[in-house]
Amino acid sequence: MAQVRLSGIAKTFGKVTALDAMDLVIDDGELVCLLGPSGSGKSTLLRIIGGFETPSAGAIAIDGVDVTGLPPERRPTAMVFQSHALWSHMTVHGNIAFGLKLRRLPKSEIRDRVERVLDLVGLAGYGGRLPSQLSGGQQQRVALARSLVIEPKILLLDEPFASLDQHLRERLRDEVRDIQQRLGITAVFVTHGQDEALAISDRIVVLADGRMQQVGRPGEIYAEPKTAFVAGFIGAMNMLDGLLADGEIAASGLRLAAEGSGPARLAIRPEDIALSEPADGRAATVRRMIDFGAHVVIDSALADGTHLRIQTDKAIRVAPGERIGIRVDRWTVFTEDGEPRRYRSDTLRSFRDVRYA
Amino acid sequence: MITASHPRAEGGGLSGLLLVALPVALLIWLVLWPVLQAVVGTVYFPGKGFSLSSYAFFFTDAYSLRNLWLTLWVTALTSALRVAVAMPIALYLRFRSGSIAALVQSLALFPLFVPSVLVAYAFIRVLGPNGIVDTVLVALGLPKLPTPYLTPAGPIIGLVWERLPLTLLLLLSGLGRVSIASVDAARDLGAGGLTIFSRIILPRIQSSIIVALAFNVLGLFSAFTLPYLLGPASPEMMGPYMQRTFSDNADPLNATTQAVITFAFCAAFGLVYVRAIARGRRGPA
Repeated sequence: MAQVRLSGIAKTFGKVTALDAMDLVIDDGELVCLLGPSGSGKSTLLRIIGGFETPSAGAIAIDGVDVTGLPPERRPTAMVFQSHALWSHMTVHGNIAFGLKLRRLPKSEIRDRVERVLDLVGLAGYGGRLPSQLSGGQQQRVALARSLVIEPKILLLDEPFASLDQHLRERLRDEVRDIQQRLGITAVFVTHGQDEALAISDRIVVLADGRMQQVGRPGEIYAEPKTAFVAGFIGAMNMLDGLLADGEIAASGLRLAAEGSGPARLAIRPEDIALSEPADGRAATVRRMIDFGAHVVIDSALADGTHLRIQTDKAIRVAPGERIGIRVDRWTVFTEDGEPRRYRSDTLRSFRDVRYA
Repeated sequence: MITASHPRAEGGGLSGLLLVALPVALLIWLVLWPVLQAVVGTVYFPGKGFSLSSYAFFFTDAYSLRNLWLTLWVTALTSALRVAVAMPIALYLRFRSGSIAALVQSLALFPLFVPSVLVAYAFIRVLGPNGIVDTVLVALGLPKLPTPYLTPAGPIIGLVWERLPLTLLLLLSGLGRVSIASVDAARDLGAGGLTIFSRIILPRIQSSIIVALAFNVLGLFSAFTLPYLLGPASPEMMGPYMQRTFSDNADPLNATTQAVITFAFCAAFGLVYVRAIARGRRGPA
């Protein structure tokens, strides 16, 4: 069992609060992504778990043992760094064997374990090479092997694929997920890539300004964002400023059913908008069409010029300047001091019936 | 038909040569030509032909050899001390930040802006006979300590302090190539401070240490002001020895011979420096 428990973790640098009172439990064998924009505190939190930073307040326990005051070398964790952090004067074998030599294991066991882990990361036979003789992806695999070979209870990954190209990043993240599941190791993965987080996580922790915005399964975070920030940060989202009144929200000329009154933010995913005949409060003007092959995204302008992205069928063709009608299937309304309210067009009738009965 | 234009390699080469032409010309005029003149002047005598007598004299004269030996070990010890003193400061400055690190950096670089003569007189005022240290010891009722003034320790202390900033800057430059993440990675795997220094940091700053040592040796071997003002009268380091042979003894031949020998030692260390630079360029530190 390898469970991480963070209780009231906070970190300040001078007058700047990097993390603010965080509570989180990461279960055995779970892969949790810390997701957030730059400066959100995700790397600081990872470094606190790894022992590279000391929290200003709160405690960390691994398997029930308080490790808050322990340095990295005395924690059952291993970190994969964004910059690979390989030692250029050592061979691949030397890099991977370093941690094992520190543990004074017999040479034969070190050799066997290095070979096994090289095989695991798909680099069998590369032990004699220098890091400079490897590609970026291979170097990151070596960094992963170096961390895995000491069999840590918790694997920490700090944006490990940030310096790699998109294609390689996707391949490596699948491999990491596969290895993590095969070994059953608990992992904490820092990323600012929402796709990466959605693709490999058991749970995602969304951070902003040093605070946890939402913790949940990828599908849940995507479908049911709890804050306007999460809604705007995860996946593509149209965020419109609007006003609630008379059972409707009016935003940039768009009018949709919604409860409440006062200012609010209207969130609509591009894939939740369908094309239809133009009507009052349901129309936009095409600015350009982006063909992604599998689908088409129409960048359109609402009545006040606000952009509205619509994801639709690849067979659809529209021309810039063309007036199109839109039908919104799902939308969420965020108010300053309330829970987000979610609406669907197929439940709209009943809602409106109730509202205007 | 579309054709791509290629910059002419010859043109680029010529521009590069023109860029270095002036410094090379100055080097030939101000350094290599006088060296050649000095070498020729010590082995070729018009009307008498070739002779190595001045070199034979230097290498058989006990006093000259004592001076050379003193210069060698003062140079070696001072260089080693400079690296030994600068290394912990460089490590601290590389891996720490904040106001204390900034203060340490300012203090460590301060000697860079103090002329050698001031260093010498400050040394005499502090460590010389009846200096501040003696005064404090007497005031405390303690016996005076033997002063390093006019002993080989005098120029060593002065020279270590005077050029510490240059060594520090060279080491910091080398440490700049050791990423904090690579040190963190070693810590993460269980390495302690000494292991990190010996197995991660040291192998990667070898070139910088060699460069720092070579620079130190080049400057120290022919140092004049501090050895002249703080060092012993006999034996003496090569700098004061050359000056005294030339001016006081009015013996330009032997002074030039001493200069050529000094130059030969410096050139040997210069080669070490060039090799270290070439090695550093071939691959990562």
